[in-house]
Amino acid sequence: MNNYETILIINPNLSSKVGDFQKKFEKLLSDNSFEVKKVEDIGRRQLAYSINNHHKGHYLLYRMQGDPQNIAEIETKIKYDEAIIRHLILAVKDLSGEDSVLLTEALENKNKRTEIADEAPKKEVKKELLKKKKLKKKKLKRGGLLNEEVSITK
Amino acid sequence: MKKFQLPNNFDYKNTDVLRQFITETGKIVPARVTGISASNQRKVTKSIKIARFLALLPYTDMHK
Repeated sequence: MNNYETILIINPNLSSKVGDFQKKFEKLLSDNSFEVKKVEDIGRRQLAYSINNHHKGHYLLYRMQGDPQNIAEIETKIKYDEAIIRHLILAVKDLSGEDSVLLTEALENKNKRTEIADEAPKKEVKKELLKKKKLKKKKLKRGGLLNEEVSITK
Repeated sequence: MKKFQLPNNFDYKNTDVLRQFITETGKIVPARVTGISASNQRKVTKSIKIARFLALLPYTDMHK
């Protein structure tokens, strides 16, 4: 029994069907008597360079235990799967149960995005408030009340 | 003052750490410049090469 870490980069166009793919791949692993310890769905990520004309990729990380002679079979299956644009199986000493840096980064980015989406309407409200203030000032000017306003602010 | 942030375990997934050890053009900075121990330099090099293969880091700045 050895410890392995598998990284798969999946075609970003099939990103929505990742759930089906994961089930299929996990079945393949269990058929080859691999025990999956941890699965990380990192999600779509910008690639540092284009692979097969793809600029983004859907990253999946598997931490698993199994026998080395079964690795070859999985590799051949992966090779002929067109949904996978790149893969790497690494032998590691220990399997850490912690989230990888990639996953935490992806989650942080997601949170940021939702925060920005939440803030956007607030900004609009602020703009409206500013407009109202300007309108008030204009009205005051027209009524010749600007001097009074100044005295109040003083 | 330490020049670089060195983690306990080098990981190909931790691109922020590895980015300290590549130049703007994507080359690995040599040990005589980084000044880190030979053992650490080997680990850095290995993880950078894995990260490059997985498109987490660039091989060069000339990628189309």
